[in-house]
Amino acid sequence: MTVVVGWTSDARGQAALVRGAEEARAHGEPLVVVNATSGTAAVDDRFAGADDVSGVRALLDSLGVQAEVRQPVVRDVTEALLAVAEEVDASMLVIGIRHRSPVGKLLMGSTAQRLLLDARCPVLAVKAKEPAGR
Amino acid sequence: MTTEHVTHDRPDIDKHVDPGPDRAQYGLAALLALIGVWTVVDSAGLGPGFADQVVRPGAFGYVIGSALVVLAVLLAVATARGSRAEGEGGEDVDLDVSTDWRTLAGLAGVLVATIALIDWLGWAVVGALLFAGAATVLGNRHWVRNLVLGAVLSVTSWYGFYVGLGIPIPAGVLDGIL
Amino acid sequence: MIHALLTGFGSALAPENLLFAVVGVLLGTAVGVLPGIGPAMTVALLLPVTYNVSPSAALIMFAGIYYGGMYGGSTTSILLNTPGESSSVITALEGNKMAKGGRAAQALATAAIGSFVAGTIGTVLLIALAPTVAEWVVVLGAPSYFALMLLALLAVTTVLGSSKLRGFISLALGLTIGLVGTTTGQARLTFDNPLLADGIDIVVVAVAIFAVGEALWVAAHLRRRPLEIIPVGRPWMDRTDWGRSWKPWLRGTAYGFPFGALPAGGAEMPTFLSYITERRLAGRHRAEFGKGAIEGVAGPEAANNASAAGTLVPLLAIGLPTTATAAVILAAMQSYGLQPGPQLFEAEPELVWTLLASLFVANTLLLVINLPLAPVWARLLRIPRPYLYAGILFFAVLGAYSVNFQWFDVALLSLFGALGFAMRRFGLPVLPLIVGVILGPRLEEQLAQALQLSQGDVSALWSEPVAVIVYVVIAALLLAPIVLRLMPGRQGPERLEDQVDALEEEVRS
Repeated sequence: MTVVVGWTSDARGQAALVRGAEEARAHGEPLVVVNATSGTAAVDDRFAGADDVSGVRALLDSLGVQAEVRQPVVRDVTEALLAVAEEVDASMLVIGIRHRSPVGKLLMGSTAQRLLLDARCPVLAVKAKEPAGR
Repeated sequence: MTTEHVTHDRPDIDKHVDPGPDRAQYGLAALLALIGVWTVVDSAGLGPGFADQVVRPGAFGYVIGSALVVLAVLLAVATARGSRAEGEGGEDVDLDVSTDWRTLAGLAGVLVATIALIDWLGWAVVGALLFAGAATVLGNRHWVRNLVLGAVLSVTSWYGFYVGLGIPIPAGVLDGIL
Repeated sequence: MIHALLTGFGSALAPENLLFAVVGVLLGTAVGVLPGIGPAMTVALLLPVTYNVSPSAALIMFAGIYYGGMYGGSTTSILLNTPGESSSVITALEGNKMAKGGRAAQALATAAIGSFVAGTIGTVLLIALAPTVAEWVVVLGAPSYFALMLLALLAVTTVLGSSKLRGFISLALGLTIGLVGTTTGQARLTFDNPLLADGIDIVVVAVAIFAVGEALWVAAHLRRRPLEIIPVGRPWMDRTDWGRSWKPWLRGTAYGFPFGALPAGGAEMPTFLSYITERRLAGRHRAEFGKGAIEGVAGPEAANNASAAGTLVPLLAIGLPTTATAAVILAAMQSYGLQPGPQLFEAEPELVWTLLASLFVANTLLLVINLPLAPVWARLLRIPRPYLYAGILFFAVLGAYSVNFQWFDVALLSLFGALGFAMRRFGLPVLPLIVGVILGPRLEEQLAQALQLSQGDVSALWSEPVAVIVYVVIAALLLAPIVLRLMPGRQGPERLEDQVDALEEEVRS
């Protein structure tokens, strides 16, 4: 069994990552960190750069968690995350969520909602402690 | 005239082991030859022109048409000798990925639909469909949002042209509504 | 002349013209920053405004887009290391290193201020030179014009680009498109279609080749992996940076302007030369080259912008376009019925001087608006590309449709868009085609005029000294590569592109 974290390089992604690492350590399970992007924009702030990734690796090493970081470029981020959860037979999926206005939800759809409904494993939704944005 | 002396491939293309001639270039050569021959034939069909016309209407056509045929032959020869096309790079272009024919076919379909419908439905409707169709084909799946954005864009641009620039784009089926 | 310029300033600072300058500068910078869109495409997409906006306002806006596009391009090169145009490759070389080393603000500042300095000096030189050149050119007869146009066509075909064969293919296709219509009294290549009797509208061709062709090409080869952008605040420089920047700015300007003014000089060569020079002269800072030397950004950026100003000399004084953007601006002038060249200075002095004055205005606006806006421009890179390219297609179709409100023009647009795609696939340069479409008919016109005066005597073509000189230059242009190749111990002239590649490798290793 494995803990899967949907990681984005912002505050809520960081919150999810930290919580996921804690869960993995508590249960003695390996961790898979997924940082997916659809690549529709030339620059994606939530897609981690090389420095962010090495920072995360260092953090996870210091926690003593056996971890793997994946950065797939996919058509659909939600599907990619679900696919990874299936593939590694995840015991838990940890994601970061934020508050959305009703209009925002209507226009953009909700990744979190689709994950909650479609995932076969339990989903832990974490909120960032500080206001969103870095 | 000059001939092609640049046959040295760039190293980044060279790393694929001898891919053989760029066959698609024969197609381009054939197309060039066809246009060239057509231009010469068209020029031959022209009359001598007015009495004071020293440069006959056909003259330029003969020169350009024959040049095209010569260039087509040169291209075919260069292709056979291994000259490969160097696709144009760019900020958003990754030449290592193979051509995405599905997206291209989708965009071609959108353009054909635009041509077929534009005189009938008018810009405000077709523009919205064009934008939404192209955005969806290009990988944005929120087609409802695409349609809304397209409609906003096309109606705004219609008014912008009509009122702002004084260019009276026909309203099509929305005549009387806009 | 000073009086004319002051009148020009009065007109350029009129609210309407000032507004168009601001719009042009903002739009130009935005498209320069956005991947996949350049100034040539933007001006092409905006050609429909020429149907109803005054010529001076439209040209002011286009000039703003031209200058702004150069500036915006350098911003992306520095923050993203993805130079869109070959002229920004050099800027990316040092600029991106600076940004990675935490000096993005200084890199952007030296690029912006250097662009301003170079643009201003370049515009002064333009104002000093263009009327003189125009005066000198106005006495020339049709034979000299014919020779000059031939030179322009051959220069953009042979000097630029990697393969001469492909250049000539592109040129021949452009000339063929220029044949269509009934200008000679008889229908040529019209397929008996009355819609083609007036020829193919240059708006349709330009929009198709620059916008539709590019959108299709990018759609087929989209780079999906996001790029790492370096976060940046407001650009600024300290005293040391100023001290290290001002000489490269001036030297870069000295390289850029003359190359821009030459037929087919372009911006690539002078930025390259400027970089080499700065590296040689760097003294104790030489070790910084390859790791982010400010001189390596300041010089090439200045050269880049000075060459843009230089490009306007042949465009305004002789009517010869030497870059893609200049070619589209020329198309815009023609759709106003303006014939750039010496006649323009005599027939429309007010327009010319307003345009020249507005170049100063645009340059200043660029500095004032863009220094604080750099972080905002970087945000544009987050626009989802499906919307970006759908938007390009949308405005391309709108532009073509607004020519005659007929589906036929949209069909032509799609057809030439497919050609634009094929050209990118087969490495055919775009510039010779566009210049061929624009200059082809004029070339024929001048030839007809020259031979009409001499009643068919072909020797009239070299009856003017200027024409003879131009033919010599053309011969040198065509023969030089062959002669160089025949010389012992030489492998032929090295391609600039290869040199840049070699340089890039050297710097990166």
